Amino acid sequence: MADDEFRQQALQHLDALHNLAVYLTRNGSEAEDLVQETYVRAMRFSHRFQPGTHLRAWLFQILRNTFLTFYRLRERESALSEDGVPEGESPMFHDAPARDSESAGAHMDLDRALAKLPEEFKTPLLLAEVEGLALEDVARIMDCPVGTVKSRIFRAKERLRGSLKDYQQPDRGV
Amino acid sequence: MSDEVTGGHEDDGGIGRLLRERLPRHPAPPVLRAAVVEALMPGRPRQPWWALWLPHAFSAVATALIMLLYLAPSLPSAPGADPVQLVTRAVLAEHARNTFWGETRSDVVPVALPRAMEESGVALSWVFTGDEDIQLINAKPTYLEGRRGIELAYQDTTGHTVTYIIVPGGSVALPERGRVQIDRWRPVVKRENGFSLILWRQQGMLCVMASDLVSDDDLTRFKEYFVKVRSSTEPYAVY
Repeated sequence: MADDEFRQQALQHLDALHNLAVYLTRNGSEAEDLVQETYVRAMRFSHRFQPGTHLRAWLFQILRNTFLTFYRLRERESALSEDGVPEGESPMFHDAPARDSESAGAHMDLDRALAKLPEEFKTPLLLAEVEGLALEDVARIMDCPVGTVKSRIFRAKERLRGSLKDYQQPDRGV
Repeated sequence: MSDEVTGGHEDDGGIGRLLRERLPRHPAPPVLRAAVVEALMPGRPRQPWWALWLPHAFSAVATALIMLLYLAPSLPSAPGADPVQLVTRAVLAEHARNTFWGETRSDVVPVALPRAMEESGVALSWVFTGDEDIQLINAKPTYLEGRRGIELAYQDTTGHTVTYIIVPGGSVALPERGRVQIDRWRPVVKRENGFSLILWRQQGMLCVMASDLVSDDDLTRFKEYFVKVRSSTEPYAVY
C-alpha cells in the first residue's frame, strides 16, 4: 500500500480513535496527544501493516499500546481479580440527578459508570459495542484470547448494569 | 459465560444498545484533524518537542559561556582555591609591575632593605645582593594574598628583571608535581602566562622567584640565579 493511500485510509478512522482516546484518558488534551502520537507511530510502522487486514483494528491496537505505555501509569486502578474484574466495589452515585432530569443526566451517569471500569474491561466493551469490531479483532487489539474478551465484556456489562440499576431506583433516598 | 456474550451486539439487557445510543461520541476536533494531517505530510520529518527548543537552548548556553569567559578574570577568587595558584598569580602581578614600572635604585638598597624587613616582618640573615651577572636593584614590603612579605627585585646584565618574594608560608604545601632538581634543591618550576616561576619553602617561609626568562637557555640562566639566591639568602619570620 502506498504511503499516500495508507494515509488517506488511516485518516478515515480519526473520529473513532479520538472517541476511544477520550474514554481512555478522560482528558481532552491528552486524548488529542494520544491520537496524534498514534498516527505518527502508524506512519512510522506502516511497512508492518499487512494490506488486506483490518486497518481500523490495527490503529486501535497502536492507540491502546501507546496509551498503556505513556498514560496508564497516571491512572489509579483498583486491584483486579484473576479474570481482571475489580472485586468488592459497589456503585457510587451519591450525587445522581432526580428522576425529572433523568434523561439529561443519563449521559453523565453512563459516562461515570464507564469511567469506573478498568481499562481491561472498558476497551473491549467500547470496541465491541460502540465501534462494532468483531471479537476476533478485539482479541487481537487486547492481545488476549477471544474467550477472555468475552469474559471481560460480560463482566463489564454486569458492572454497568448494576451501576445503572442502582441509579434508576426511585426510592434511592438521595 | 460465553453464551451470554457471543458478539458485540447480543441482547444483553440493553447495555450494549444503551452504550451505542446514549453514550456520547467524541469526534476529533478540527484542530486535531489539522494537526494529524500536518504531522502525516510526506517529506515533513517530525521533530520531537524538545527539538524545537534545541537551537534556543544551544544559543543560550553559548551566550552564557561567552559571558563566563569574558567575566571570569574579573570574578573574585573562590574560597578554597589552590593557595599555591593564588600566590603564583599574585607574584606574577607584582613581577609585571616591577618589569614595567619598577625603579632601578640599587643605590638605595642599603637603606630600603632594612626598612622593608622592618615593615614586612620578614628578616634576612643573609641576602644575595648580586654579582657580575645579576644585581639587587630594589627592596620593599609587599602584601600577597593576605600575607605580609618582602619583595626583592633583581636585574641581570641583559636587562631581565627577576622578582623574589618571601612571605610566611603558613600551611601552604607545594605540590610534588613540577618539582625539578636544581643543584641540591628540588623546588617547583612552573611556566605560566609567559613567565617562569620557581617556588620553594625555606625556614617556614614561602619563597617565589618570577622572571620572563622562559626559553630553554633563559630558563637555565634563571635556575642559576635561583642557586645564587637560594644559597646566599636566609629569611626568617620576625614575628
